Amino acid sequence: MISVKNLHKSFGDHKVLIGVNEHIEKGEKVVIIGPSGSGKSTFLRCLNLLEEPTSGEIVFEGQNITSKQTDINLVRRKMGMVFQQFNLFPHLTVKENIKLAPVKLKVMTDAQADKRAMELLARVGLPDKADSYPIQLSGGQQQRIAIARALAMNPDVMLFDEPTSALDPEMVGEVLEIMKELADDGMTMVVVTHEMGFAREVGTRVLFMDGGNIVEQNEPKAFFEHPQNPRLKDFLSKVL
Amino acid sequence: MSEFIQWFQEQFYQTFIEGDRWYIYFAKGLGTTLEVTVGALILGVVIGVCIAIIRSAYDSQRVHWRGLGGILLGLGNLVCKVYLTVIRGTPSTVQLLIMYFIIFGSSQNMIAAAIISFGVNSGAYVAEIVRSGIMSINKGQMEAGRSLGLNYAATMRYVIIPQAIKNILPALGNELITLLKETSICTVIGLMDLTKGAMIVQSRTYAPWMPYLSIAVIYLVMVLILTKLLGILERRLRASDQR
Repeated sequence: MISVKNLHKSFGDHKVLIGVNEHIEKGEKVVIIGPSGSGKSTFLRCLNLLEEPTSGEIVFEGQNITSKQTDINLVRRKMGMVFQQFNLFPHLTVKENIKLAPVKLKVMTDAQADKRAMELLARVGLPDKADSYPIQLSGGQQQRIAIARALAMNPDVMLFDEPTSALDPEMVGEVLEIMKELADDGMTMVVVTHEMGFAREVGTRVLFMDGGNIVEQNEPKAFFEHPQNPRLKDFLSKVL
Repeated sequence: MSEFIQWFQEQFYQTFIEGDRWYIYFAKGLGTTLEVTVGALILGVVIGVCIAIIRSAYDSQRVHWRGLGGILLGLGNLVCKVYLTVIRGTPSTVQLLIMYFIIFGSSQNMIAAAIISFGVNSGAYVAEIVRSGIMSINKGQMEAGRSLGLNYAATMRYVIIPQAIKNILPALGNELITLLKETSICTVIGLMDLTKGAMIVQSRTYAPWMPYLSIAVIYLVMVLILTKLLGILERRLRASDQR
């Protein structure tokens, strides 16, 4: 579904990604872990071109999205993204947040989007918050709304950029629960996180990034029980 | 005391009643002042928003726009910068004189010259106010809009600008108040606004007190009304911030 070939990304002289190669199949739940500054968020943000790669190729559903001919706005409709800081639109109600893209991009009528928004709100367990403004919600609730908003366009893949890192500890669980349900429904997911429990339980594959590349990957059980790379061993000894 | 009352009555009669001056100079003058202010405001906001969008698009998007689009954006940014420098670097009185006597040289349309001159002047200040408003919005908002498949323009329109307007309303209101008062300098081209009306009345009656204090009060009252209206608008726009 997503193929990444020899991906490089630099900010000025600072090389963040150094030739990443990766292939993600439909239905996989790929969890990316690694120390801060390892390039994992940048890698994720390159997948929907929020960061423009310096060089390399990303193919999504058979389409080379790094090519100049590609309309990235059309590609992004098929890739939902959830941010660390939620990034809900504060001037719109919860329901308007969810409806904005489907209605303005004319993929749904207002009535269809309304129905879709209420379905999604039921799914994330917040149907009574439809007319609230984001500031009236807790962090966990905001992130659940952000997930609903990303799902509104019926994406084929969901990208999560440290979705629980900005939350109070007691709210992490409710967000992970929604993500777990999403995974059980068969959604393809790429998740950058520090939640090792989630990686072990939900991930079908775990990637360890360090120094701008993927240095080790495996299915979760083997990944956590028999790490090979000394840097991964060191990292796991600190976080587990 | 009775002498003062008599003096006051005389002055009042001379200034306002005699020869229907209240209408010919004050009411009509006030109308012209408002016409110039509203016209210049609309023009200023249109120019200001356009420039602010070009400038912030250049700041945040130039790395993504290649080819002709990128060249046009760079050119647009350059034009905007020159405009801002010239307009903010010269007195508005001088701009008005140039507008009327040189650019409008043959047409003699004072009101149009004044509206365009003040509008172009105000646009430069509004541009920087709007740009500061756009920059005050967290970049995550743009990313969230773009990640949903909205393009740059749509994200600006539906996500960034509505939030920016709320942030810049006080500064924009300030600009409107400045504009209203600044229109009084259109007396230099002979336009019959409120201030010019008072000047003419004084030249007839040789009594400065009544006409000038009266227009000072009129300007003050207009500014107070504007301040009140802006306060109401601001509170309504802030509705979504309340818990």
